[in-house]
Amino acid sequence: MSRPSIFVEDLYVRFRPYVDRKPTLRRNLGRRRVQEDVVALDHVSFSVDPGEAFGIIGRNGAGKSTLLRCVAGTLRPNSGKVVVNGRASTLLQLGVGFNTELSGHRNVYLGGLAAGMRKREIDERYDDIVRYAELEEAIDRPVKTYSSGMFSRLAFSVAMHLDPDVLLLDEVLAVGDEGFRRKSMQTMRDLLDRSGTIVFVSHSLNNVQEFCDRAIWLENGKIAAEGPSSEVVEAYRDAVDDRQAGQT
Amino acid sequence: MNQTATPTYYSRRLIGYLSELWRRREFVWFLALGNFKARNASTALGLFWWVLNPLLLSLVYWFVFGLLFGTRDIIYLMSGMFVFHFTSQSLTGGANAILQNSKLLSNLRFPRLILPLANLLESLIGFLVSLGVLLVLQVFLRGYVPIASLWLLLPAIALQLIFNLGLGSLAARLAVPFRDINNFIPYLTRIWLYLSPIIWPLEFLDDPAAQSFARFADLNPLFPMIGLYRAALTGGPFQPEMLVQTLIWALVVGIIGVGVFVRYEGKIVRHL
Repeated sequence: MSRPSIFVEDLYVRFRPYVDRKPTLRRNLGRRRVQEDVVALDHVSFSVDPGEAFGIIGRNGAGKSTLLRCVAGTLRPNSGKVVVNGRASTLLQLGVGFNTELSGHRNVYLGGLAAGMRKREIDERYDDIVRYAELEEAIDRPVKTYSSGMFSRLAFSVAMHLDPDVLLLDEVLAVGDEGFRRKSMQTMRDLLDRSGTIVFVSHSLNNVQEFCDRAIWLENGKIAAEGPSSEVVEAYRDAVDDRQAGQT
Repeated sequence: MNQTATPTYYSRRLIGYLSELWRRREFVWFLALGNFKARNASTALGLFWWVLNPLLLSLVYWFVFGLLFGTRDIIYLMSGMFVFHFTSQSLTGGANAILQNSKLLSNLRFPRLILPLANLLESLIGFLVSLGVLLVLQVFLRGYVPIASLWLLLPAIALQLIFNLGLGSLAARLAVPFRDINNFIPYLTRIWLYLSPIIWPLEFLDDPAAQSFARFADLNPLFPMIGLYRAALTGGPFQPEMLVQTLIWALVVGIIGVGVFVRYEGKIVRHL
């Protein structure tokens, strides 16, 4: 238990805005039209232990998703170190790798393979995935005919059946209807009980407070506060209150 | 599993990269097959379109070049056209492979070469179908199948695959920072089509008036490649130089394209 699940040290990411010459790149670089580099993460360090739920809060554009992408390993930082111990499953967006023209059945395989499962593993878990998503009836229909709730349930179910040690979530706790939401919360608690680790980016401060043990508050790519989630959320709330008071 | 340091470094060592690719081969296959199926999933004729498309295409060319411009060998025309389409599809698809999958790229870790590979595999399926159509048509029109030379198809397809992968990867890599390439490619393929021995007969190059044109032919990788296919399928003349030239083109373009792509991999997500 001594080894942290996630260890992030001195992480630094900057984006070079191609703004002027290549306007199509603009959307991913924030709304600022600056000439100098945009620093998305400015020497961020933290670690998360097994069995811990860890929250990341902050304003839009503070670097939360960038941080999650570095931990997921899809974005290579300019400098710094990320170590993840165990199998990570990422739910940064729902339904990644899905092709909505194809059936739910086909998409279970596409999503699972995209996330790194072998076909054999998916074969074994297929029935569980479909049952968990409550889509036994609709699984052979094209996914584009699904409601957004059905879509989310299927995507969430595939991600959870990776049996991850580390789960990275970006604003996706509000999956499906109330019944499914409870079930998914329970699944995540089970994961924590098995010494799994959850990192959770959200604007829903109540969820962070309720669900996470610890949290960080990111402001302009820097850690503004770190500690027990209730304290960090309070500090962030106060800052938002102050800012709004200043505006009126 | 213990991932150390910056995880997207797919250890640049070739072996590590290739073994990871091999481990994810099922993903490549499902991605290609998925795109292939999805392409016509909502149409009434569905997968039949993959046979219908090359047939209709041949019909159009037969109409334009056969009927309007006098009799031209339709088998000659189609064999060149299908080979050309395979390469031009890999180029066009490659240029889109990264841009159209930005969601996948920014969310999941995998060797990025999977995307141009899946695109290549998808066009290969269509190409093989069209070769089948060509053979069947040839049986009808000429009443023979070139059993003795069919083996040449193996090196031809293998080498064109390597060539196309290199070309597609190169386009994929360049299209990320320079999106203009996507606008440029249709014109590039158009001129490439006219420079290739598809809609004009080989004798055309012997014409003294076509001398400057003939010089381009020597620089056109599709020239020996199409020659190879014609030797394999339609009883065209086989010269060993075709095989050698195709091999050189495939290796040069394949190695440069894939190499350039893999070296760039780690930066892709930041440039999307």
